Amino acid sequence: MKERVIAVVTAGLTTPSSSRLLADQLAAAVKDELSGRGIESRIELIEARDHAHDLTNNLLTGFPSAELEKVLATVAGADALIVVSPTFSASYSGLFKMFFDVLDDQALAGKPVLLAATGGTERHSLVLEFALRPLFAYLKAIPVQTAVYAASTDWGPNATTLRPRITQAATELVAALQHEAPAQTVDPYDNPTPFEDLLNS
Amino acid sequence: MQFGVFTVGDVTEDPTTGTTVSEAERIKAMVAIAVKAEEVGLDVFAQGEHHNPPFVPSSPTTQLGFIAAKTSKIILSTATTLITTNDPVKIAEDYAMLQHLADGRVDLMMGRGNTGPVYPWFGQDIRNGIGLAIENYALLRRLWREDVVDWEGKFRTPLQGFSATPRPLDGVPPFVWHGSIRSPEIAEQAAYYGDGFFHNNIFWPVSHTQRMIELYRKRFEHYGHGAADQAIVGLGGQVFMRKNSQDAVNEFRPYFDNAPVYGHGPTLEDFSRETPLTVGSPQQVIERTLTFREHFGDYQRQLFLMDHAGLPLKTVLEQLDILGEEVVPVLRKEFAAKRPAHVPDAPTHASLKAAAERARDLETIVEPAGSVEETSR
Repeated sequence: MKERVIAVVTAGLTTPSSSRLLADQLAAAVKDELSGRGIESRIELIEARDHAHDLTNNLLTGFPSAELEKVLATVAGADALIVVSPTFSASYSGLFKMFFDVLDDQALAGKPVLLAATGGTERHSLVLEFALRPLFAYLKAIPVQTAVYAASTDWGPNATTLRPRITQAATELVAALQHEAPAQTVDPYDNPTPFEDLLNS
Repeated sequence: MQFGVFTVGDVTEDPTTGTTVSEAERIKAMVAIAVKAEEVGLDVFAQGEHHNPPFVPSSPTTQLGFIAAKTSKIILSTATTLITTNDPVKIAEDYAMLQHLADGRVDLMMGRGNTGPVYPWFGQDIRNGIGLAIENYALLRRLWREDVVDWEGKFRTPLQGFSATPRPLDGVPPFVWHGSIRSPEIAEQAAYYGDGFFHNNIFWPVSHTQRMIELYRKRFEHYGHGAADQAIVGLGGQVFMRKNSQDAVNEFRPYFDNAPVYGHGPTLEDFSRETPLTVGSPQQVIERTLTFREHFGDYQRQLFLMDHAGLPLKTVLEQLDILGEEVVPVLRKEFAAKRPAHVPDAPTHASLKAAAERARDLETIVEPAGSVEETSR
C-alpha cells in the first residue's frame, strides 16, 4: 500500500515546548498504529514558530514566501493532520491560527485531523471543543472524536491517563484515514471553466 | 513593445519628512508624471480608479481628458477601470468620448476592484465580482459595436433601443486589457475575446504570475485568436534607481518599510527576491526586466509603478528621466532583438482601424473563400 503522509503542525513557542512533546507522542502513536496495520507512513513535522515571520508577511503581502509555500503544500498534500496549539487567553494561540489563516481554505477539505492542545492547567481542556473543533469543522476537515489535551500534570502525576487518550485518538485518526479517499484537488489554472459556461451562469 | 507607467494615485505620507501632499497636489502630480512620461519617450500612461481614501482618482476620464490636452503621443490607459461597480453604459460613453478628444490614444484595463465596501456604495456585492465583470463587459462590447442595443441581464436595468453616444472614434472601440492577479475566470475572459491580459505581478512571485499567463496564452490559442505566443500580454514592474545601487537602497528603504500593501512586512531584500521589485542601478533594472521575457514569454506592454508610497514628485520625475533615458532605450533594443517576427505588437487605435478597414474591404468582395485570402494581401 502507498505510503501515507501525516503532517504535524505544532505551535509551541519554547524549546522544548510541551506542545512539541505532545505532537511527537501523537505522531509516534499514529505511526505505530499504521505500522501495526501494515501501512508505511512518513511524518512531516512543522513548527509554526519556524515560519512566524513568513506567516506575518503572508498576511501582509497576500502570498507565501517560497519556503512557506512548500510547507503549506506539505500540509495540503498530507493524508492526515495532527495539530497542537498551546492555550492562550482562552483559545488557540495567534500563531497557530495564523497558520490556518494563510493556508488555502479548501486545503483541509475531507482530511482527517487529530486535535490537540496544551496548557498549564486542565481547567482549559475544553479549548479543544469550543475553539479547535469549530475551526476545523469550518475548514471542512474531519476532526476525530477524541481530542487530546495535556496539562502540566499530564507530564508527571497524570501521565498514565494521558497515554490511553493518545492511543485512542491515534486509533481513531488511522481509522478515519483508511475510510477517506485522498482529497481531490481541482486545479483552476489547469482546468478553467469554459467562458461560455461563465457567460451563461 | 510598449513601455509606460501606471499609478494608483495614493495620497501617502512621505515617511522621511512626515508631510502629506494635498489632494490637489497629488492630482496635479499625476498630470505632471503623465506629461513627463511622454517627454522622456514612454508609450503609455495608465491610472487607477478608486472611490475611497487615501486614493484620489475617482474620475479617470476627467483626468485623462485633461492629460490628453497636454500631450500628443502617449497612449492613455487605466489601471484599472472598475468593470464591476461602474455602469457599463457610462464606461462605453466616457471612454468613447475620451477617444474622440485624444484622437484615439486610449485603451482600457478592466479590473474588478478588491475593496469590499466599495461594491455596496455602488449598489453591488463583491461576492458577485466575477459575474459582474463578465456580464458588464459583454454589454460594454455590444454598446461599442452595435449602434442600437436591446439588452437584458442580471445586474442592470434592461435597455431597449439604446445607442451609446458618441460612437467610438472611426467605429473602432478602444482596445481592452483585462487585469487580474489570481482569478482564472478573468484570464479565460481575456482569452475568449482575444483581448489583452495584464498581470500586475509587482506584489507576486514569478511562479504565480507564470501560471496565470500560461493559462491565458493556452486559452487564447484554444479560442482561435492565434498561437499561444501571439497572445497580448502586459506586465507590471516596480523600480527605484540611482547611479549607485546602494544609494538607491538607502533612499528607497524608508518608503518601502512604510509603504501601503507591503510595509511593516518583509524586508526590502526579501521582497526584492520574491517579487519583481528592483531597487538599484539602471543596469540592474534592465537585467531584471529582461528576465520577464524568459519567465513569461515575449510580451507587449511593460508598465512601471514609480510614484507610490509617498515619494515626492521631484524624485518621481528624476526616476522617469532615468527610466526614459537609460533603461527603456536599452530594453526596447534588447526585447526587439529577441522577439520572433510572428509575435504581434499590442493593438493601437491605428492598427485596429486598419484591421477594420481590411475586414470591410473583404466583406465587399463577393468571391469564393480561397480567392478572398489572396485578394486581401
